[in-house]
Amino acid sequence: MPQFFFNKKLILLLVGMVFLVALISFSLRERTKATLPEQIIKDTVGVAQSIVAKPANYITGVFNSIDSLLNTYEENKRLKARLEEFAAVQAEASDLKSEIKKFQELTDKSESLKAYDPIHATVIARNPDQWEEKIILDKGSSHGVEKNMAVMTAKGLVGKVTLVTPFTSEVELLYTNNPNYRVSAMVQGDKQAYGLIEGYDKERNELIMKRIDSSLTVKKGQQVVSSGLGGIFPKNVPIGEITEVSTDDFGLTKMAYVKPSADFSILDYVVIAKRSATVIDGSDGNTSNEDLSHPQKGKEGAK
Amino acid sequence: MVRFLIPTVAVLLFLLEPEFAMLSPIEVKGQVYYLVPRFLILYLIFISIYYSRQRAVMYGLFFGVLYDVFYIDIIGLYSVLFPLICFLAGSIVKVIHQHLVVTTTISVVLVAILEFILYQFFYLIDFTTIPLSDFLLSRLLPTIIANALFLMILGWAFKYLINARVLQRAREVS
Repeated sequence: MPQFFFNKKLILLLVGMVFLVALISFSLRERTKATLPEQIIKDTVGVAQSIVAKPANYITGVFNSIDSLLNTYEENKRLKARLEEFAAVQAEASDLKSEIKKFQELTDKSESLKAYDPIHATVIARNPDQWEEKIILDKGSSHGVEKNMAVMTAKGLVGKVTLVTPFTSEVELLYTNNPNYRVSAMVQGDKQAYGLIEGYDKERNELIMKRIDSSLTVKKGQQVVSSGLGGIFPKNVPIGEITEVSTDDFGLTKMAYVKPSADFSILDYVVIAKRSATVIDGSDGNTSNEDLSHPQKGKEGAK
Repeated sequence: MVRFLIPTVAVLLFLLEPEFAMLSPIEVKGQVYYLVPRFLILYLIFISIYYSRQRAVMYGLFFGVLYDVFYIDIIGLYSVLFPLICFLAGSIVKVIHQHLVVTTTISVVLVAILEFILYQFFYLIDFTTIPLSDFLLSRLLPTIIANALFLMILGWAFKYLINARVLQRAREVS
């Protein structure tokens, strides 16, 4: 034994191992807030990162514009064909809008699940080792970003905020293996079918929408949007298009494969959606069903 | 001047990695390939080989902690792996010849080992479910090719920079 204690290196190694395992297990837990040293590191690196990200985003922007310039002729032809259609749709839309306003005045109900305040953010980094699908944005809690908010591009939903520091925030993308990651969604049609986006199929590169009522018909090609019923996301954010419908493992409900409408490969500018309606910590969040906007009230309700 | 250039390049590579990561994954004929940029660790391996093992391990620890906190959120993963890889590189080079081709090959092999350990770890904690064959084909191989290309283009520059620093230090000592 005595020579064991003289072997300083070995003891150091052992202590190091124990410390390491403790650290890893500490950081693997579901955490809602980063610790103070973490926040400091994240913010400092975040600031440096956003300086580097600006020219990098500019360069990718140039390449993207060259790419779109090459497709201009094709695109123009297609767009012209749709222009006439567009005028009719616009007239109908403004008609419907005024009608909705009238009804809202009649029912005295102005708050809508669709409404949200957009917070524009720049993607400053993407997890370089790409095991967890994660991006980091240059807006944080000092700009009003909170955990579990929806993050989207002009084309559709990309993910939700998982961790916030004062000047940065982390977004977990829809492409994730995390089993606790759910988004309440609905299929648009004559009769809306509700379900949950849960997980994704690695081979098909598509999202999986589960728990759709089997009495409802969902077809290939229908659009899937967020339902707003999960408690945190705004309503009607496009998610994707159904490519295949089948029954789930137990044959009780239907499930569908959804091809996401947002382009995940190059993300540079995104919008964080802060819902205007009351936010409840429902299935999009931690599923604790706590009312986040009125914490006191929520607790009383739980009693 | 050269004294500060070495850490500056390391910081720059650290910040550039995620920008390059945004170009991945690429899709070729329906098959998705992930390219993981590992510029920083390649540079640290070069420091370990041509300059000083101890210095490289220190850099590895520092950037490993930054990496863990900023990107991965699992503290203690890269902060152990980076110094370990640097240590290995510094130890291997004592028994073999320091030609650029040899060191490039060693660096790429070490990155492949790093990537494999990471895969095993993430498989263990259920972050990923892809089978080994998929990992080898869609991740490891493209990553090795991309990083080997990077090192072929910039390896000589790393060597030049580090040699300049070594010469400068030798002059200071004498």
